[in-house]
Amino acid sequence: MATTMAGVSLSAPRIVAKSGAESPKVPHAYIRTVQPWNYNKRLSQYGRLMVVRPVMAAPDKLSDKVAESVKNAEEACSDNPASGECVAAWDEVEELSAAASHARDKKKSTDSLEEYCKDNPEADECRTYED
Amino acid sequence: MAICTVYTTQLNPTCSSISKPSKSHLGFHQRQVVLYKRNSTNTYRPRSSGFSRPSYSIITCAADQTVVIGLAADSGCGKSTFMRRLTSVFGGAAEPPRGGNPDSNTLISDTTTVICLDDYHSLDRTGRKEKGVTALDPRANNFDLMYEQVKTIKEGVAVEKPIYNHVTGLLDPPELIKPPKILVIEGLHPMYDERVRDLLDFSIYLDISNEVKFAWKIQRDMAERGHSLESIKASIEARKPDFDAYIDPQKQYADAVIEVLPTQLIPDDNEGKVLRVKLIMKEGVQYFSPVYLFDEGSTISWIPCGRKLTCSYPGIKFTYGPDSYYGHEVSVLEMDGQFDRLDELIYVESHLSNISTKFYGEVTQQMLKHSDFPGSNNGTGLFQTIIGLKIRDLYEQIVASRSQTPVEAKA
Repeated sequence: MATTMAGVSLSAPRIVAKSGAESPKVPHAYIRTVQPWNYNKRLSQYGRLMVVRPVMAAPDKLSDKVAESVKNAEEACSDNPASGECVAAWDEVEELSAAASHARDKKKSTDSLEEYCKDNPEADECRTYED
Repeated sequence: MAICTVYTTQLNPTCSSISKPSKSHLGFHQRQVVLYKRNSTNTYRPRSSGFSRPSYSIITCAADQTVVIGLAADSGCGKSTFMRRLTSVFGGAAEPPRGGNPDSNTLISDTTTVICLDDYHSLDRTGRKEKGVTALDPRANNFDLMYEQVKTIKEGVAVEKPIYNHVTGLLDPPELIKPPKILVIEGLHPMYDERVRDLLDFSIYLDISNEVKFAWKIQRDMAERGHSLESIKASIEARKPDFDAYIDPQKQYADAVIEVLPTQLIPDDNEGKVLRVKLIMKEGVQYFSPVYLFDEGSTISWIPCGRKLTCSYPGIKFTYGPDSYYGHEVSVLEMDGQFDRLDELIYVESHLSNISTKFYGEVTQQMLKHSDFPGSNNGTGLFQTIIGLKIRDLYEQIVASRSQTPVEAKA
């Protein structure tokens, strides 16, 4: 898709400039919602991510991240438990723990037929027969 | 009811449009629009910050407008379970967008789209770390974009919503959100920003007491590598100041609050297994009439277990009555204890009034269907299901009232 390509190439220099402390202020063009005339500009916000299509992480990889985040938080808080750094680190632990828990739930309910039949027990596919 | 000046003689079946922006070549516009002017005081509140809007705006055919529901709660407090119950009551299974980002936070069913407000993080994980702010902090969230997009969807126009990836902690490429019949915005801050709050047709806050939050997080995280009782406690405590400052105050705006507390049936119980759950329902909310027990407006204490119904230990106790909550008149229904047998649940359901079921036993049926969800045997599951039914009812009333409004729509 032409637009996607344009977005990628446009964005490349921006990322270099933007890495580092990211400002909470989102560029103006992005705040407006539907602006077809700014379509390319908006896409370029995400340009860097267009290159690598995200793939759902394996739950065990998330587990590593949780364990790592706990370690980081304990370290970050050893100096000053009231610092923003410490609080943000524990917040990351919460975020990752919640993500890991959701990933486990998702894994549990991957049998789509079973899920479907729960909602549509009368469907042909969901009939069970006894002799 | 928003009374509008509609410059057409008839709204239905097709809204005659006065102005139609020529955006349709991009496929954004799916519906026709009409111009209208607001003159009701409660639908338009200018912000003091100087955010200006024209005195008229463009809306879609009123009968197709999206109903917006807000659900607020902290992370790990049962929003996902509630969403699964809610979408189930509305009919059909809610699933992530097909063929989209596998880490998308959105759920879509025939009638409902649920979006996660984490998608409006303005700071990604690294950004928050550098600045030393939590996701609970408004500075980590883009309320301007949240408002613009929810408003745009409510007006019947699709938006390109960002995706916050909870695994990587980055903002992924956006996904297209088309206007559904019912839009649920769930997350940490659905009622934080006044502009977003004013877009909500109904709002719910899940208020989990500290004791129960701790118990739930132990259940969720103890098995996780790296976690210990200390780390779970430390995480809750570190986030608490921001939680108290930015999340908790939202409950005063909620039309319904589900409060989860430790039981009082077992003396000194701190296991957090048996729960006492309160459903606090605001009075005077349009299209929402609170559930009651036996006699509306009276104060009732009811132990259903006795001669007619035998319950397992520690039994079940209900209380109901009028109360005041942050200066609002409310009705409170409380359930302490848990259901251990099906007949207990049916017995209780048959004694509740105004639960907006379509047939006898619908609450029980919903609870049984999702008996594997957490809280299916206690007040959290019961009240979440009931709120689901109330929202379905609210939606149906809004739709019905719209089809009757053309005559009313006069200046």
